Amino acid sequence: MKARNMGLILAALVLLAGLPWYGSDLLVQFGINALLLAVLAQGWNIIGGYTGYASFGNSVFYGLGSYGVAIAMVQWHLPFGVGMLFGVVLAVAFAVLLGVPVLRLRGHYFAIATLALAAVMTAIVSNLSLAGQNIGLVLPPLNNDKLFYELSLGLLTITTLTIWGLTRSRFGFGLIAIRENEEGAAVMGVNTTLYKVTAFTLSGIFSALAGGIHAYWITFLDPESAFDLTLNVKMIIMAVFGGPGTVFGPIVGAFSLSAISEFLSSEVTSIAGLFFGVVIVAAVVFMPRGLADMLRRGRDMGWGYFAENIRRHRL
Amino acid sequence: MKGRPESRPLLKVENLNVGYSGMPVLHDVTLEVHPAEMVALVGSNGAGKTTLLRALSRMLPCTGRVAMNGREFEGLTPDQVFGLGLVQVPEGRQLFDRMTVQDNLLMGSYRRMDKAVIARDLDRIYTLFPPLAERRHLLAGNMSGGEQQMCAIARALMAAPVLMMVDEMSLGLAPVVVEQLMKVLTDIRTDGVTVLLVEQDVHLALSYADRGYVMETGNIVREGRARDLLNDQTIRKAYWGL
Amino acid sequence: MKPLLEVRHATRRFAGLVALKDVSFTLAPGEILGLIGPNGAGKTTLVNLVSGTLSPSAGDILFRNETINRLPAFRRARLGIGRTFQIMQPFPGLPVLDNVAVGAMFGRDGGHSNLVAAREYARECLEFVGLNNVIDKRADELSGPGRKRLELAKALAMQPQLLLCDEVMAGLNHVEIEEVIDLIRKVRERGISILVIEHVIKAIRSLSDRLLVLHHGEKIAEGEPDAVLENPIVIEAYLGKKRS
Repeated sequence: MKARNMGLILAALVLLAGLPWYGSDLLVQFGINALLLAVLAQGWNIIGGYTGYASFGNSVFYGLGSYGVAIAMVQWHLPFGVGMLFGVVLAVAFAVLLGVPVLRLRGHYFAIATLALAAVMTAIVSNLSLAGQNIGLVLPPLNNDKLFYELSLGLLTITTLTIWGLTRSRFGFGLIAIRENEEGAAVMGVNTTLYKVTAFTLSGIFSALAGGIHAYWITFLDPESAFDLTLNVKMIIMAVFGGPGTVFGPIVGAFSLSAISEFLSSEVTSIAGLFFGVVIVAAVVFMPRGLADMLRRGRDMGWGYFAENIRRHRL
Repeated sequence: MKGRPESRPLLKVENLNVGYSGMPVLHDVTLEVHPAEMVALVGSNGAGKTTLLRALSRMLPCTGRVAMNGREFEGLTPDQVFGLGLVQVPEGRQLFDRMTVQDNLLMGSYRRMDKAVIARDLDRIYTLFPPLAERRHLLAGNMSGGEQQMCAIARALMAAPVLMMVDEMSLGLAPVVVEQLMKVLTDIRTDGVTVLLVEQDVHLALSYADRGYVMETGNIVREGRARDLLNDQTIRKAYWGL
Repeated sequence: MKPLLEVRHATRRFAGLVALKDVSFTLAPGEILGLIGPNGAGKTTLVNLVSGTLSPSAGDILFRNETINRLPAFRRARLGIGRTFQIMQPFPGLPVLDNVAVGAMFGRDGGHSNLVAAREYARECLEFVGLNNVIDKRADELSGPGRKRLELAKALAMQPQLLLCDEVMAGLNHVEIEEVIDLIRKVRERGISILVIEHVIKAIRSLSDRLLVLHHGEKIAEGEPDAVLENPIVIEAYLGKKRS
């Protein structure tokens, strides 16, 4: 990695870390949301972007992480850290036990199966008294947005570092091979089952951690909001908009789309949804491989980049 | 003895070149088909036969001249080529499996407007292909391989073709069935339908055709009257590019 | 000398269709065996049985005297069975070097474990196939013949003992075919045994030590190339039955 880029990233990190001191309260809250969304997008990136398995089950991991923290703190009076660990354990168990059968499916079938899992989890948790059933749980309040902000930033940094490490590791190359040609990868010596389940698990761990932080920050959760499917859709859109299979793409996607969404809701409230939809459609038409790809190749190709995308996708 | 006047070629292909993503597949293919002829195009797998048919139907970009009845194909789309009367019976039949035989046949005449003539043609088809008449309300996918091939040919005929291109008809069919189908193809020539027969089975194709072309790795390596090619002891060398 | 690969009475059925029936043959170390046959003969099915993409319905596959019937594909790669694919799929976004490095990171005995060593070895393989001048290009910028060499380099990076080549000659002109033939001979000189599926008969005749002919899933001939190609049974399989 070039020294100049390294410097820029460190500078950005420092700037971001300092936000709670120079930014408004509203901005910090926006920041926490955006950062957690970025973590989710990055988590999805591992299984969806790099391995090529578009998961609609990441919201399950998020929910498990939330409930892990909530149950540990509310029912068993354990500290937050232990709660986070518990959430991770739940996520890993889920990923390994259900990942093995579900990852045998390809493409659309895999997506549908994970979708089904999400629905099932909501139903199960709604009936668990330990989890407060339909009413949910209320966590002990902690009024310290600064702390949550830094935790979220820290989590995003770790997640991104992990992905960066992936791109230089045998494991990461194996995932890419699976994405590009799973049969070819197997024949080349990649233990595809092991790698897929590991990617799913890794993706789940980060999603769970994000869920845990969010639960403690909001101090309330119920099955509907914890396993919210629209969250999964959001994280996919953000990852894909920014650039799936890249290190920074999902972060850029999450930040930019959060900002656009925020701006639209405040300025043009009534048709915010419509505009957001138009933005997404335009992105899919003109830059289907995400912002990252556009920035990289658009520079050399100029306007021809968009023309080629339209032609290639036969519009 | 009166000599036959030189009939103008129905289909004329000159210097056709086709490539897939940077790889040339057909090199300078030149051939012609005369009215009411049966021309055999033979070659082993990978020789480029199906690619040639697809290029003629304008489903693939290519360079070179293709003209039928004097009409150039430059810039035409596949459905326009179909409209001119160039109809393909594709490899593997490609029937609408879950439609009845009759519906499949009617789909063949989908673009024709002359309802009365279509009805007459349908009756003619049923006379020509009694097994199809018997099975007209059966789902096409439930028939045997030979019956399906028959249906595919009949469907192409329902489009009132000028030139019918049949791709690998004999694959997977019993010899008896193949002979039956070949007989049908020979018979329809009296109705003015010209046939370009693409086949792996060289002897089969050449024993029914008038003329033949042998393809090998994208090139025409031998051509001539079918009878002469059949008697040519070295034809396998051409077929294999040796 | 013990054969490297032994296929005994291999049969493979697919829901009523017998794609391969009772096929047996051996491949000696350092041998180039050509696998030919008309369309639908079962050649790819046979290669899939050896590479592990499919398991046999009956019969045995032995590699270095070990039965590998139920061994999953990736374990066979670790044993030293490598394969090229007919429809080459390089990783388009990655440079040529990394495409081959992936092969070097897996393959025999698990391959190289770190990226640097893998890239080093990938460089060697690319040089071997003559692509050292395009190492930094993106894989999708390569021409057709270039991609075929890339596919070969990737397979070589796996350090195979047995290489299964699936139609490497398709679409190449005469000059390019000669180059690929030379390349495959060089691969053999390194001690790698090769099973080649090919449709370009002219090419496979000069390349192979022996030919194996499949037709409708059965072995119909085996032996020295010229003898096999003169065999009337083989000629009839390709050209059809002679008629009166």
